[in-house]
Amino acid sequence: MTTELKRTALYDLHVDLGAKIVEFGGWDMPLSYGTGTVAEHRACREGAVIFDVSHLGTVEVRGADAYELLQTALTNDLAKVSPGRAQYTHLLDEEASVLDDIIVWWRGEDSFDVMPNASNTSRVIDAIGGVDVTSSRCVLAVQGPKAKELVARVSPEAAAIGRFRVEAITIDGTPCVVAGTGYTGEDGLEIAIPNEAAPALFSRLVEAGVIPAGLGARDTLRLEAGLPLHGHELGAGITPLQAGLGWVVGWDKPAFRGREALLVEREQGPRRLLRGFKGLGRQPLRDHGVITAGGGVVGETTSGNFSPMLECGIALGFVDTDAQIQNGAPVSIEVRGRSVDAVVEPFPFWPPKER
Amino acid sequence: MQIPENLRYSSDHEWALVEGNRVRVGITDYAQDALGDVVFVDLPSVGAEVAIGGVIGEVESTKSVSEIYAPVAGVVVAVNDEAASTPDALNSDPYGSGWLCEIEISDPAALEALLDAAAYKDLTDH
Repeated sequence: MTTELKRTALYDLHVDLGAKIVEFGGWDMPLSYGTGTVAEHRACREGAVIFDVSHLGTVEVRGADAYELLQTALTNDLAKVSPGRAQYTHLLDEEASVLDDIIVWWRGEDSFDVMPNASNTSRVIDAIGGVDVTSSRCVLAVQGPKAKELVARVSPEAAAIGRFRVEAITIDGTPCVVAGTGYTGEDGLEIAIPNEAAPALFSRLVEAGVIPAGLGARDTLRLEAGLPLHGHELGAGITPLQAGLGWVVGWDKPAFRGREALLVEREQGPRRLLRGFKGLGRQPLRDHGVITAGGGVVGETTSGNFSPMLECGIALGFVDTDAQIQNGAPVSIEVRGRSVDAVVEPFPFWPPKER
Repeated sequence: MQIPENLRYSSDHEWALVEGNRVRVGITDYAQDALGDVVFVDLPSVGAEVAIGGVIGEVESTKSVSEIYAPVAGVVVAVNDEAASTPDALNSDPYGSGWLCEIEISDPAALEALLDAAAYKDLTDH
């Protein structure tokens, strides 16, 4: 039996633009366009690209109790921000496993747009309620050092929105919500726009010089930037502390789901930590690769690929705290049964640190 | 999709350029397109003996990996180190600068088992 794959309102445009389409989380999405993943990746580091990320969920949580609902369900502390801001946060279970990582767009006093990963939308609704409006809108992510300059040619108002700010504006008479957020490590914007107006805006941005990019580049960009992907660096049995995301936890809040377990872990120290790895050659590192150091197994990779900017293999993976592995330490990472030489490298891998 | 007339092909999407008893091997335009951006190439060693259909290397893109199978039996007499350092040649010029290795064959009759351009085109059309 095959399940019908969902398509975003931009699907026909992607095909017209020469996209290779792949199944991702129940959606038919562009993997890459004509020039390929590596060129799209570099375009995002040097210019500006646009991704269709409409497959991410949008859950509208509204009402006088919305703030309290989010405060008690999610890890981060809304008191650190204010209406008109975006915040990265986690939904945990009672054992402090990360059920989903989420961006919250705080639209107005009692009004939040909660954006889970595509496949986790129902978990998030179970936890905080709200209305799933995913199918009514598209989300365009315009990312790169020239993103705002090129968006300004279409909407100066959108281009003026700062990092982690959220604003409702109109673009060509269409009401949109624009946030200074993204998943590439570059400056950029994410624009939520009603389906019917999305293809025209996407096309105008491409005409302005923004390069369309697919999920292939989205994954290599987020990996190079050291950003976690749910199902890899976050998920069952993985806590925010293990993933190095303690800053996502509002410790001062009296209650949130998973808080007790997380306090115990903070007290004892996490048994493993997410680390970065850089291969000595071009070979892409991959996920589920056993990591060995000093003759013993010390961990396993969670994501790996080729870094188009560093032109070597890179990976993220969990390493046992007991192994006391230092940055720069040589390790072996198993890729398809063979061992590849790598070193422990602090992430983000890009931009490179000052030497 | 380019399928040059002067080459022979395997059903595993390798091409073979036959010059006397020396056969230059690479992956086809169809194969490079299916793989996407090639970022890593693992080549055999010069002097290695290879059997028909034996694995002689790997071609890897950001999204997947594909083994390279020897389209002929023989001994590897040359490898393209340039392709290892600039694997994008496999995408931009799969039949030229993106060649992988050269195999000296012992039994030229085995070449008859390879597909001609028309037969390979049939294979990729289906």
